[in-house]
Amino acid sequence: MTCDDVRTRLLDYQRGRLPLPTQAEVRTHLDACADCGRAEAVEQELTSVLEHRLPQYPASLALKRRLAAEWPARAVERSWWSRWRPALVPSLAVASVLLMVPPILYYERATSRAASERASLVGEAVNDHLRVLSSQHPLDIESGGLHQVKPWFEGRLDFAPVVAFEGDAEFPLRGGAVGYFRDRKAAVFVYARRLHPISLLVFRAEGLAWPTRELTRIGSVEAYTTAERGFNVIMWRTRELGYALVSDVDARDLRQLAARMAGGQ
Amino acid sequence: MSPVANEGLAYVDALHNLARYLTGNQTDAEDLVQETYARALRAEHQFTPGTNLKAWLFRILRNTFLSLYRRQRHDPTVGGLDTVEADAQGAGIESWLLGDIELDRLRKVVGEEIEAALMTLSEEARTVVLLDLEGLTEVEVADIAGCAVGTVKSRLARARAALRQKLKDYAR
Repeated sequence: MTCDDVRTRLLDYQRGRLPLPTQAEVRTHLDACADCGRAEAVEQELTSVLEHRLPQYPASLALKRRLAAEWPARAVERSWWSRWRPALVPSLAVASVLLMVPPILYYERATSRAASERASLVGEAVNDHLRVLSSQHPLDIESGGLHQVKPWFEGRLDFAPVVAFEGDAEFPLRGGAVGYFRDRKAAVFVYARRLHPISLLVFRAEGLAWPTRELTRIGSVEAYTTAERGFNVIMWRTRELGYALVSDVDARDLRQLAARMAGGQ
Repeated sequence: MSPVANEGLAYVDALHNLARYLTGNQTDAEDLVQETYARALRAEHQFTPGTNLKAWLFRILRNTFLSLYRRQRHDPTVGGLDTVEADAQGAGIESWLLGDIELDRLRKVVGEEIEAALMTLSEEARTVVLLDLEGLTEVEVADIAGCAVGTVKSRLARARAALRQKLKDYAR
């Protein structure tokens, strides 16, 4: 492979888009050729400069609110029975006489109620996040680290929020505040991803209809992940505490943060 | 509920970022994003579930930009990437490209300089650079830009070469 061959493939090489044998050939050439090695370092640096120093322009909160207001309301998910009912009702009418109606109605009501509860919990989490963002003083305590934020909640909540993730360079902890989730107090930990705030709500989970289906394993917990009104939401439960992570950051970024949090639980 | 209505708003930041770099100002970027979402909702039945919704929205945004904005303004780079390409690949590029000095200069550039350099590129070049940063595949970028995959590959390489040239100048 010549230097010209390598130079034209550098970007594909760095993106891992080359077939494995070609990838290996390029690697071998780069190890042996100082000029191409420097060219590769320059390409890598340019990518790094673009990824980390190019100013990002996320949508303003005002635009997000305008879009959310005009967006179709999120319907409660319909069960398969609801979708197929018009076609199946005639044939099932006879069979229902033979004992099918009671269990089907029970199933429909149960799944519909579960979906409704789930949507309600997610909606509450997004609303709480918006309340934090729109507050003039979103943080009751600015962060000097988790060791400073967690003790601040003592005496302000009727439970001790269990949060092990102290924040890091990618997801710094900005501070905390007391909020409400439904009828109960919540500890709100505010992290950030570049310019995007991320709220972690911690609250007592008893009495809430927690999602039990469509769960994904993140770290050591089974989490429910979804998106609503432009915000990504991840919810999980550990013993008696419920956790809701909400932000407009990319879903993959939010999942990374959830993994760091759930890994410590 | 369709994937568009269900998840569409999750990509508003990425769409706004591209809109801001295409239009060059906040007001037009917000209008462009709003119009993009309005068109997406009208066309949601055309979205194929299982394909990349983010790429689909980017395509609508770019088409909306082309139909609403680019023709309204004098854009010195409308002539296309070839203009940039010719400048970028001018004589002497190899001499600076390969040096440790260039690497050192790149490490010192600041955000404003990178933005300024990006904004000197043609709209086509800016688009491929930004979509590449968003992690879209070349096939998806080609679909958004309405060109062949090979064209995307060469546009991206030339755009990055042009950026390096510009940043070299800024860092002097």
